[in-house]
Amino acid sequence: MAKVLEGPGMGLMKKWGIHVPNYVVVTSADELAKLGQANDWMKTAKLVVKAHEALGSRFKLGLVKVGLDLNGAVAAAKEMIGRQVGSITVKQVIVSEMIAHKEEYYCAVKSTREGSEVLIANCGGIEVESNWDRVKRLSLDVGQSPSAEALEKLSKDAGFSGGLTKKMAAFAAKMFTCFDNEDAQYLEVNPVVTRESDGELVALDAVTLLDGDAKFRHPDWNFQFAAEFGRAYSKDEMEVMAVDSKIKGSVKFIEIPGGDTAMLPAGGGASVYYSDAVVARGGKLANYAEYSGDPPDWAVEVLTEKVCSLPGIKNIIVGGAIANFTDVKKTFGGIINGFRKAKGDGKLKGVKIWVRRGGPREKEGLDAMRALKDEGFDINVFDRNTPLTDIVDKAMQK
Amino acid sequence: MSILANKDTRVVIQGGAAGVNAARRMAEFCYLIKRPLNVEAFVYPPDAGKTNEIPYGSGLIAIPVYKTIAEATKAHPTINTSLVYIGADRAMKGTMEALDDTHIKVVSMITEGVPEKDAKLLGAHARKLGKVFNGPSSIGIISAGACRLGVIGGAFDNLVLSKLYREGSFGVITKSGGLSNEIIWICSQFADGITTAIGIGGDAYPGTDYVSYLEMFENDPQTKAVVIVGEMGGDLEERAAEWYGAKKRRVKLIGVVSGFCQESLPKGMKFGHAGAKEGMKGEGSARSKSEALKKSGAIVPPTFGALGPAIKDTYQELLKSGQVKEPVEPAVLPRLPKSIEEAMKADEVMVAPLIRTTISDDRGDEPCYDGYPASELINKGYEIPHVIGLLWDKRLISKQEAEIIKRIMMLSADHGPCVSGAYATILAACAGIGLSQSVAAGLIMIGPRFGGAVTDAGRWFKYAVDNKMTVDDFLAYMKKNVGPVPGIGHRVKSLRNPDKRVKELVGYVKSLNIKTPCLDFALAVEQVTAVKKDNLILNVDGTMAAVLVDLGFPVDSLNGFFILSRTIGLIGHWVDQKRQDSRLIRLFDYLVNYAAPKRREVPPLK
Repeated sequence: MAKVLEGPGMGLMKKWGIHVPNYVVVTSADELAKLGQANDWMKTAKLVVKAHEALGSRFKLGLVKVGLDLNGAVAAAKEMIGRQVGSITVKQVIVSEMIAHKEEYYCAVKSTREGSEVLIANCGGIEVESNWDRVKRLSLDVGQSPSAEALEKLSKDAGFSGGLTKKMAAFAAKMFTCFDNEDAQYLEVNPVVTRESDGELVALDAVTLLDGDAKFRHPDWNFQFAAEFGRAYSKDEMEVMAVDSKIKGSVKFIEIPGGDTAMLPAGGGASVYYSDAVVARGGKLANYAEYSGDPPDWAVEVLTEKVCSLPGIKNIIVGGAIANFTDVKKTFGGIINGFRKAKGDGKLKGVKIWVRRGGPREKEGLDAMRALKDEGFDINVFDRNTPLTDIVDKAMQK
Repeated sequence: MSILANKDTRVVIQGGAAGVNAARRMAEFCYLIKRPLNVEAFVYPPDAGKTNEIPYGSGLIAIPVYKTIAEATKAHPTINTSLVYIGADRAMKGTMEALDDTHIKVVSMITEGVPEKDAKLLGAHARKLGKVFNGPSSIGIISAGACRLGVIGGAFDNLVLSKLYREGSFGVITKSGGLSNEIIWICSQFADGITTAIGIGGDAYPGTDYVSYLEMFENDPQTKAVVIVGEMGGDLEERAAEWYGAKKRRVKLIGVVSGFCQESLPKGMKFGHAGAKEGMKGEGSARSKSEALKKSGAIVPPTFGALGPAIKDTYQELLKSGQVKEPVEPAVLPRLPKSIEEAMKADEVMVAPLIRTTISDDRGDEPCYDGYPASELINKGYEIPHVIGLLWDKRLISKQEAEIIKRIMMLSADHGPCVSGAYATILAACAGIGLSQSVAAGLIMIGPRFGGAVTDAGRWFKYAVDNKMTVDDFLAYMKKNVGPVPGIGHRVKSLRNPDKRVKELVGYVKSLNIKTPCLDFALAVEQVTAVKKDNLILNVDGTMAAVLVDLGFPVDSLNGFFILSRTIGLIGHWVDQKRQDSRLIRLFDYLVNYAAPKRREVPPLK
């Protein structure tokens, strides 16, 4: 799942005929001032300025300013750009026109196992979140598009009446078309409002999650995907992502500040069981990591270096199930090189390493790990006869 | 018995290198269970018409590659299963092709990173046709003692350790490929092993869910219990729980779910599998899945580590109730033949070498010439002539000898564009021929009339010196037995127009005060022959030959000095023509004496 920021999200909706407010995304106040001279709407409308970053609670942080004229917007942009919030630096703001409206509605399309679901409510904003039962749903099988009649019925069921019934149905139809054609996994507009000037339904805010795996057939996705957990990716995380995008197989790395147990397990499935075991034993994870699909040794080496660089770690869990085709000797070779480099850089002092693994060339790989003892590493190595997560139990007992 | 994959499963593999690798793994399993290879064909348009060689035991089986599924199933009508190893951007089309073929009932897709919508469309299409679409991102399916689809089960040793050569009583369904192997291993150590293990893939919406497979296991009398390994995200585990709790089931269900750590991690954190993420409103959490399974009556060990003992308990119960009997292990299992390298490493075979070398060895971290590491030669000041000495004569020559060789090479490196060798190279270069071929064209010219007389000259001068012949005896002998003396005579040079290269070389060698019996003899011969005819002088070939024989180089290596030095020039001519972007050349008519018969009528064919 790949999250898309508001600007590009609105862009995709606009592409499929959904009315959105006029907006611009800028990286400096000067740019905004120049755009203000070029665009009439910026001179006439009241404006909203929002930090255009993957941040939650922007309102509370003072990163949303409403009801501004152009000068006010330029001042707000100047104030926001460059602000540091946790690990995120605000680099962009989105400036959009305010749409005068009275009523607020809700519309979303989400992916389901069978296909998708269209959601409509005749309330919006915060109101819909506390009245979730007012959301009406229309389930669709994959490959099926909603008929105008079905959407009108849905719209009626949700409590729309008069001319608004058809308008809301048409809005939902466009949302579905956008969802279906853009390989979206989740599209949500909250609120949908009736623009007082012309009575059209307009999307005021967009949550857009796309299927990153479908990027190959969307050459116009010229935007970056945003981090999904309310913070920017760190430098090390981005470096591992860059490696991941280049190789056969995969390497993944996400930091969890404050933890003391570093994870370096193999396999998308086993890695989560290892994380579970650490949490179940009362340990604190310092990261999530995973390598799989027989990645090249140099990629595993990069991952290892990042894991070893995590601050304040006491244990490193080099776990893994019995591999199908990942070469244990080769991937362990990468890990060993990473360990040696880290040690050479003065890291890993007082850090205990716990290894458990099976698979092709497991004996050679495990023997090479064991030999690290002679180089002064505090390392404990187990083979397939030790159950998967027992190394976590052992590590946590110490 | 087993489900999905059995002894009648015949496979087409869609894809290139990854598919071939899977076929190799499948052949290892077929060999272990003593059955013929179950892969009938490949479909991979770039290689259509070729065959892929799959090792089976100590032999190789050629499996044909087709352009389309239809061609493959037409030629191999027993095919009933397809494995998809096509890239994510083309996987949908290829899989549809397989699903739409009437022969094929099961399609399993290994491809990762397939768009969600494509996976859903494929799943829906398969259901409509009453077929099974397994995956995407599936490690494969394996039925113990019967059939392997994909690389599931791992290396050959692991197949044996996990007792996959014979049936057990446990079914396995996992999202994770690595864990499928782990569970198979656990089932073989804590119980009697598996019937069938299926990787359904870790995507958000796999083509087939737990319930479809649980239903199949329920109908397979050999399967007594099923282990499912779940993950947070989606609702497949909840649906499995619902199925299990709906009515009394014959099979026991054991389940674990991962993702409890989610409760103490930043929200929305992305894990290894695309499907492993929590829903919008807390649905699909590990806890809710675990609870649902427990509530349905399934055995849910608290941690992954407790899974082994739970499987053991279940097995003991099955044994006690008489539903299963202790398995009988086969006395002997086939062993995978070792490669020659592995067998030699284990001192199990001796191989008669095909060639023998006495000069160089490149098996270490750098080449060794006659035992001396190249880098050490460099660092101790040795040069190219020393390497020649080592490789041609297995001898570390002296500084003085090296200097002579260097001068010989410098003098013979090139002789302008008009001589046979250079001209041939230039002609080839102008025809657009590549460097090595053009240089080879020049080298081909080296022979008795051009540059190739060094060896012969050396041989006969040496013969004369070894036999203590006088110049007259020698010339008489040559006249009678050989012909013109090699190394004597030049096309353009003469006594009055001496070859400066010869003068230079002779002058230098004579200045060294070393013993040069051959050179002395050759010069004595020249004294006699040049009197007879002006251009019967000692030429550069003869001079080089005499000097090199005096240095002790073997007669058979002597032409090598000319070939080597002249190669420098030939390369130069090729690069020169290339640099000028020279055009194709042909002889002008006026350079040809047309002595062929005049144009005439062809008589009727008789």
